[in-house]
Amino acid sequence: MADLSSLLYQLAWPLALTLAWMAGEVLFRWTGLPRIAVYGLGGFLFGNLAAGYLPPSEAAAFMLLANLGFGLMLFELGYRINLRWLRTNPWILVTSLTESLCTFVAVYAVAVACGMASLPAGLLAALAMSTSPAGLLRVLNEQGCAGQVTERAMHLSSLNCVLAAFTFKLIVGIGVFQTSGDLAHAAWSSLVVLGASAAFGAAFGVAVPLWLRRIDNAARDSTLAFAIAVFLLVMIAHVLLFSPVLAALTFGIVARHRRLVLSPAQRNFGVLGDLLSVLLFFFVATTLSWNQVAAGLWLGLLLVLVRALVKVAVCTGFARVSGITARKGVLTGLALTPMAVFAILLQEQTRRLGVDLFQSLEPLAAIALLLEVVGPLVTQRALLLAHEARNAKEK
Amino acid sequence: VPLEPFATSRSLTMGVELELQLVSLSDFDLVSASPDMLELLGRAPFPGNVTPEITQSMIEINSSVHTSHAELLAELNEIRDCLLRAGDRLNVGVCGGGTHPFQQWSQRKIFSKPRFREVSALYGYLAKQFTVFGQHVHIGCSSGDEALFLLHSLNRYIPHFIALSASSPFLQGSDTLFNSARLNSVFAFPLSGRAPFLLEWEAFERDYFARMESTGIVRSMKDFYWDLRPKPEYGTIELRVCDTPLTVERVAALACYLQALCRHLLERREASPREDDYLVYNYNRFQACRFGLDGTIVHPQSHETLSLREDILTTVRHLEPHAQALGSEAALEHIYRETHSGSDAQFLRNAFERAGSAEGIVDAALARFRAKGEA
Repeated sequence: MADLSSLLYQLAWPLALTLAWMAGEVLFRWTGLPRIAVYGLGGFLFGNLAAGYLPPSEAAAFMLLANLGFGLMLFELGYRINLRWLRTNPWILVTSLTESLCTFVAVYAVAVACGMASLPAGLLAALAMSTSPAGLLRVLNEQGCAGQVTERAMHLSSLNCVLAAFTFKLIVGIGVFQTSGDLAHAAWSSLVVLGASAAFGAAFGVAVPLWLRRIDNAARDSTLAFAIAVFLLVMIAHVLLFSPVLAALTFGIVARHRRLVLSPAQRNFGVLGDLLSVLLFFFVATTLSWNQVAAGLWLGLLLVLVRALVKVAVCTGFARVSGITARKGVLTGLALTPMAVFAILLQEQTRRLGVDLFQSLEPLAAIALLLEVVGPLVTQRALLLAHEARNAKEK
Repeated sequence: VPLEPFATSRSLTMGVELELQLVSLSDFDLVSASPDMLELLGRAPFPGNVTPEITQSMIEINSSVHTSHAELLAELNEIRDCLLRAGDRLNVGVCGGGTHPFQQWSQRKIFSKPRFREVSALYGYLAKQFTVFGQHVHIGCSSGDEALFLLHSLNRYIPHFIALSASSPFLQGSDTLFNSARLNSVFAFPLSGRAPFLLEWEAFERDYFARMESTGIVRSMKDFYWDLRPKPEYGTIELRVCDTPLTVERVAALACYLQALCRHLLERREASPREDDYLVYNYNRFQACRFGLDGTIVHPQSHETLSLREDILTTVRHLEPHAQALGSEAALEHIYRETHSGSDAQFLRNAFERAGSAEGIVDAALARFRAKGEA
C-alpha cells in the first residue's frame, strides 16, 4: 500500500485539473467569466504551489497533449477562414499587415526604451503580434458568436499568427543561433521551415477529405477523422521540428477550400475539444512561475497596454473603409487581446531547439499570465458589446 | 381597430418581396449578419427597399411597383448586385432557397425588436424553425371585391406556384423528400391556411374580420398567415406560398405568371369560384409540396385527376395572349422551360449528389444566385 503522500503525489495532476474544471463551470455560471480564464488562473496557482515537486516527465506528457489541443483549435480556425475574402475585401489584409507591423514596432520600441536588450525585445515584439487562436476561438464558441467582429477577429488572428511565427523564427535564426549574420539567409531558412509545415498541412487537407469520401462518410460526422488526422499531423511536425501551428492551420484552410466532402465537424471538436482545452489552458499556466511574473510585472503591464492600444487604433482606423462602423472596429481590436497560449507554446518549441527564452524574456511571463486571464475576458466583453453573442442574450 | 378601407390601386400592377438567406462564406452556415449588412447598405441609396426580418440571418428586400417584366427584372438585378457587393465586403453570401439545408434551428438569434420578441415568446420553437425564406407577390386590385374575386379564383392555381418555386428539399441536414419543406413550417401556425370564402369586401370586413377581431385573436391582417391574403393598405392581394427561388430571373417569371393569370381570370370566362373548390385544396397543396412538378392534382370543379406539369403547360398556352398584352412573353418562356429542365429543388438535389455534402448545396445556391442572365 502506498502511503498518503505518494498517493497524492500521483494524483496531483488529475485532481488539480478536476478542480480547475469545476471552478470553471461554477464561475462561468455565477459571474459569466470565460471558463478558460479560470483554467489559466487555476493552472498558475497549481504550478506555483505544487508542480515544482512533480517529476518533469509528467510535464512533458502534458505539454504534448496541450500541443494536440492547440492543433485542434488551429485546424478549426483554418476551417473557418475564407481566403477569397482577402481578395474581395483587400482592406482586411491591409488591416492585418498594418496591425501586426505596428504592434511589432511599438512593442519593440517601448521594450528597448525601458532598457531591454534588442534581441529579447525583438522576440517579445514578434510574440506580441499574435492573437492566440485558442483563447479567441474558445470564447467565440462559448458565447455562440456570429457577426463582423467575430469574423474579422478570426481572420486577423490566423494571419497575425502566421506573421508572428515567421518573424519569431527569423529573429531566433539571426540572433540566437548566429548561424549567419545574413538576414536574407535567416529569412530563407525560416521560410523553408514554415513552407514545409504548410506543405504537410496542405497534403493532409487534400488527403483526409478524399479518404472520407472513399469510405462514404459524407452523411456522417467527420469530427473524429479530422481529430485523428490533426493528432498525427501535430506529432509529425513535433518530431521533425516543423511548426505544428502552421501545419494545423493550413490543414484546416485546405480542407475547407477543397470542400469535397465535409459534413460539418462539430464546433470545438465536441467533448474532445473541451477536454483538451482544460488541459491546454491549465497546463500552459503551470509553466509560469510567480518569481518571473513578479520580476517583469510593470514592463509586462506597459507592453500589454501598448499592444492593445495599437491593435485597437489600427482596427478602428481601417473600420469604415473596410465596411464596418468605427465602433465595431474598436471592438475587433479589443477582441484580438488573447495571446498567452500561442506565445508560450512557440517559446516551448524553441526551448526544444536548445534555447531557453524565459531567461531572457523577463516580461513574457507577466504578459502571458495577464493575457491568459484577462485576454479572454476582454474578448468576451467586446463581443457582448458588439451584440454578437447569442448565448448571453437569450438566457 | 376596424379594418382599414381597401385602398384602390391600378389593376395588374405588381410588386415582389423576397426573403433572402445570409450565409457565412467561411463555413456556409447561416450567419447573424443582417445588422452589419443593413449598416453597410445604409451608406448608399438602395434600389427598392430593404428591411430586417425576424431572424438576423435573413434579409428582406422588396421591389417597387411595376407593370412590365423587363422593368421588374432590371430592378431585381440591380438589388441583387447591390446585396452581393455589400456581402462580399463582409464575407457574407446572399442566396435564395426556401430553407437553409443544414442550419440547426436552435442556433438562430431573434432580431431584437419588440414585435419580434413577442412573436418569439408566443410561438416558442415555431418562431425559430420559421427561419424559412419565401417570395411574396403583390398584385394590384381596383377594389376590395375584385381582390376577393381574384383571391378565390386563384385557389386552383396555388399548386402551380408551389411547384414552380419549390426550393426547399433539405431541412436540418437531411432530404425531407418534399420539394417545398418550407410550407410545412408555415402550416404549423394557427392562423395559416386559406381565407374564408367571402366574395364581397363589405361582408369580409363585417362578417369575418370584425368578428375575429372581437375574439381578441387578431389585431390586423398581419396576423393571418394565409397562402393568399388581401392587403387593404396597399390595395393588393398577396401570394405567399412561393419559396424564394435561386435566381432573380425565376422571381420575376413567377410574378409575371401570376400577373398574366390574374388578367385571364379578370376576363371572367372561367367558372366562378365556389366554396366547394376548397374541398381539394389541402390535398392539391400537399401534392405540390411533396412531389413538385411531378405531383398530381384534382380539378376542384370537374374532379379530374391532372398531372401538375401538364396543367401548368396548358395554363401557359392559355396565357400567351395575356403575356403578349403585358409584354411578359419572356416570363412565360421561362416557366415553360422550367417544366422541362426541373425546379430549383431538383437543382439542389443534383448539387448534393455532386458535392456529397450539405455545404456543397449552399455553395451551388450561392453561385446560382450570383450568375448573371441565366435562366
